[in-house]
Amino acid sequence: MARFFFDSGDHDVVTEDEIGIECAGLEEVRRAGFEGLIDLTRDALSEVDGQQVFVEVRNENGERILRLSISLQIKLMR
Amino acid sequence: MDVLIRKLQSISDLRGGDIDVLKGIQIQEKDFLANYDLVREGDRPVSSFVVLDGLLGSTKLTGDGKRQITSFFVAGDIPDLHGLHLSVMDCNFTTLTAARLGFMRHDALRAICEQHPRIATAFWRSTLIDAAIYREWVTNVGRREAYTRMAHILCELIFRLRSVGRIQDHVADLPITQAALGDALGLSTVHVNRMLQELRRRGLIATTGSRVHALDWSGLTHAGDFDTTYLHQRNPAV
Repeated sequence: MARFFFDSGDHDVVTEDEIGIECAGLEEVRRAGFEGLIDLTRDALSEVDGQQVFVEVRNENGERILRLSISLQIKLMR
Repeated sequence: MDVLIRKLQSISDLRGGDIDVLKGIQIQEKDFLANYDLVREGDRPVSSFVVLDGLLGSTKLTGDGKRQITSFFVAGDIPDLHGLHLSVMDCNFTTLTAARLGFMRHDALRAICEQHPRIATAFWRSTLIDAAIYREWVTNVGRREAYTRMAHILCELIFRLRSVGRIQDHVADLPITQAALGDALGLSTVHVNRMLQELRRRGLIATTGSRVHALDWSGLTHAGDFDTTYLHQRNPAV
């Protein structure tokens, strides 16, 4: 088990994870990151075309190892 | 038993004689580690337990194994008191931290309730308040935003620990895991961290290890949409 830090960001703020989460491997990091992204999207995605929310994972050495993001496209069809 | 008596006094009108009767209840004390299932769904317990120390959760598992913590229980609470009347357990009770519990036999509790109506009323009020807490939690998990949800649960824990005299100020030692907080809030662990961080950034709480300090109690209650009515305390201490 190692500790990973899941920073997350929306339109104007990046929140640094100071607590971290113990994960058994990259697969678990990815799953935790994805679940976090879903919550973040529900909470922080606003109705702005092109808006992106993301989760970025650091390991204990501060190296960025994974980024998950989702962005909103709004297009008028006529 | 003092903590049970204190809890019941905080929610009902007990007299000297009732307190003597409560003090006379035979209890068997046992210690448990964190994350131990004390009672499982489907069990038919012959005793109920009072929390003497530590934090418990009532929990339910979905068909695919996801856990929801449906309520917290602190010192003085009798989480499975309803087992006195509903013989088959419909949820699990799990220690969320190391805990000390006192087991009381159902037949003894029944005999006391038959002879001492004020104690029976106090027990009834206790289970009614548990139900009120469940209603609040459904609202919290179902309709409040994650930030409000987190603030609310911290307010509730601090308020309940204060009302049974377990903490004097607004500092609570809450050695529960982020995953358990997530299971109580219906949130991912990543989002639990984010919400704690957000509460810290706004100066509402400080955390050191497992210790949570509400730096700005009125700010935290405001952020958590926390109104103590549902806890039905006779003399709210906070």
